[in-house]
Amino acid sequence: MLPFALSLIFALSNVFDGQAWRDLLAHPQLWPGLRLSLFTGAASATLALLVALLIVSAIYNTDKWHGLTTNIGAMLALPHLALAVGFGLLVMPSGVIARLVAALFTGWQSPPNWISTHDPWGVGLIVVLAIKEAPFIIWMLAGILNGPDVQRSFAGQRAAALSLGHSTGSIWLRVFLPQLLPKLVWPMVIVFVYAATVVDVALAIGPTQPPTLASVIWADINSELVASNARGQVGALFLSGAIALALFAAWALAKILAPSLRKFLVQGPSHWAIPSWLGNAKLKALMAFYFIVVMLLLFMSLAQLWPFPDLGPSISFAAWGRIFNTPQALITSLGLAFATSATALVLLIVWLETQPEKLDRPLMWLCLAILGLPAILVGLGQYRAFLNLGLTGTALGLFLAHLMPVTAYMFIVLQSPYRRFDPRWRTSAGGLMAGFGKFFWAIKLPLLKAPILAAYAIGFAVSFSQYIPAQLVGAGRFSTLPIEAVTLTSGNNRPLLAAFALLLAVPPFLVFVLAAHFSKSRWRLV
Amino acid sequence: MSLKLENISITLNDRILIAPFALAIAAGEIVTLMGPSGSGKSSLLSFIAGDLPSPLQGTGNVTLNNKVIDHMRPEQRRIGRLFQDDLLFPHMTVGENLLFAIQRGPRSERESMMKTALQRAELQGFENRPPHSLSGGQRSRISLMRTLLAKPEAMLLDEPFNKLDKTLRSSMRDYTFNHLHARNVPTLLVTHDPSDAPKGGRILQINGMGDMIYV
Repeated sequence: MLPFALSLIFALSNVFDGQAWRDLLAHPQLWPGLRLSLFTGAASATLALLVALLIVSAIYNTDKWHGLTTNIGAMLALPHLALAVGFGLLVMPSGVIARLVAALFTGWQSPPNWISTHDPWGVGLIVVLAIKEAPFIIWMLAGILNGPDVQRSFAGQRAAALSLGHSTGSIWLRVFLPQLLPKLVWPMVIVFVYAATVVDVALAIGPTQPPTLASVIWADINSELVASNARGQVGALFLSGAIALALFAAWALAKILAPSLRKFLVQGPSHWAIPSWLGNAKLKALMAFYFIVVMLLLFMSLAQLWPFPDLGPSISFAAWGRIFNTPQALITSLGLAFATSATALVLLIVWLETQPEKLDRPLMWLCLAILGLPAILVGLGQYRAFLNLGLTGTALGLFLAHLMPVTAYMFIVLQSPYRRFDPRWRTSAGGLMAGFGKFFWAIKLPLLKAPILAAYAIGFAVSFSQYIPAQLVGAGRFSTLPIEAVTLTSGNNRPLLAAFALLLAVPPFLVFVLAAHFSKSRWRLV
Repeated sequence: MSLKLENISITLNDRILIAPFALAIAAGEIVTLMGPSGSGKSSLLSFIAGDLPSPLQGTGNVTLNNKVIDHMRPEQRRIGRLFQDDLLFPHMTVGENLLFAIQRGPRSERESMMKTALQRAELQGFENRPPHSLSGGQRSRISLMRTLLAKPEAMLLDEPFNKLDKTLRSSMRDYTFNHLHARNVPTLLVTHDPSDAPKGGRILQINGMGDMIYV
């Protein structure tokens, strides 16, 4: 965790560069870009929360609920960037939707003149982020709701509220939500900060005139002009400050609204129901969307020429051929993902076995900070720290840059199931004369295999989708899949872009499927 | 007021938990249903309340005040329930827990109903306290008051005294029965402790075959 602390110190080291600040404040895209960043961040986070709550309230404690975690895992595994590319191919003027409209209704011979990807209001960006973050929030909610205490107490509270004349919809609003939302604060902060500072997705599908502030800063950082670099660095600080201010404003607003919300809680019994068309179809629609995007990427990657009104492309393996002739990026990404998630797993298990539980709290805060701070700020500080250590442009540097976010995510996933492990197993194994080694390998690991495998799969997916640290610390000497894909979004080779997006999606998906398969219990308990 | 059960049975995967039986409970009467744990007593209460979880199946007619209610949703049946746990909502104050159950209407009226209920629970001035700061007995009284504020037309008690200690248990029992008698609601009490049953009341026992036997 030392690299992270160093990163922060170095990220702050430019705070007194007066000229850079003046340059930044004179930048014509500063304020429009900031407005766009905060708006797309807040809108997508809110939308994602709404979608997640609607889905969860519709299927909580039904048969679908128990199969949910597998589906969610698969959706979580799809990198943002792959989804953004697929979404772009769907809605762009020569995309599949336009082709369907042309074939079915209008008979267009040339692509329509509609604004879709890179739309100036960031609608495409908001939709992609919301669709990608909703499964994350559902997953966090499932973690909370499936806790043994919560499950029991919510079941009881539900029965009590029903007998007092409240409908299920009213119970969600007045009983469950007020208890769930406080626990969702940190996940929502992570979602908002991610959405407001994301670079790769914004480059792929976000507005361009002006772009989001994160994209402006990113362009500055990667510029060849030293003055622009400095401006980009203070820009990252400025964006982080603005986000902190926005979060504070949201917190203040919540405090101001709280009293009237409390009155709403106790208005008395109500038969309000969540409109069924909203709840029922949502999960299927979400899964269908992911499926369509992946299928589309597959088609597009196999396309050679796909003239506009045609519904199907002519097949070519040119894109795949090119990838397998120069597989360097794929190999680097795969190697990094396997190595970082395995290393992180060993580190975390050693931590959890040797450190007292009370030290988990500061580490958890650190991990939340890594995920809750703008990636562009952390990445920049890391870059400067590594530069001083001579790690920039080295394989070790690249490995460490990926290891940090991977470890942070995996700790958040693993901590609670690992610490909740019933200590009586240890006692009873001790009674059977099993030493620590035997106990650990024969009892503890098998019993904890589900959370361990889930953490590994998530770490793998996180490593696979790192763009900023790979680009900065790699210093052009290493190429990974996200770097290739982002470069391709501004080019014209759509089959190759689609192939790279698919490559981003498939390995994490496979790891998730394998993890889900191997974490099945030998038998179903109850 | 009366609660009528006709031809009621409960099955779990084709295994009969409760064989078809009939029972009519008059206004103000408290009928006690005894049986070992796992015999389906609680499931029966869930069925009457309309809230039987899915692998369990129930059939039969439930009539409340000459109105067939078994097609109604649970929240529309006007059947109050007390559980082993007090189930006060932890994110609401004591007063808010009570207001939660009071029908919509003018605010001052609802507030004064809440205050009256606090008085009856001998807990005046407790409305802004969080539930976890109350003792077990105090919480049980608030829970009963909350249920009664929803103006139930029948009551189902699912071992509500089970988790109270011995001295508290008998006083809470008297307190509950007095209030139910005063409201004149038909009540079905489920328990495995014979001393929970009110004196002179009818007592039913579920035997191993799922049949109901009057004791």
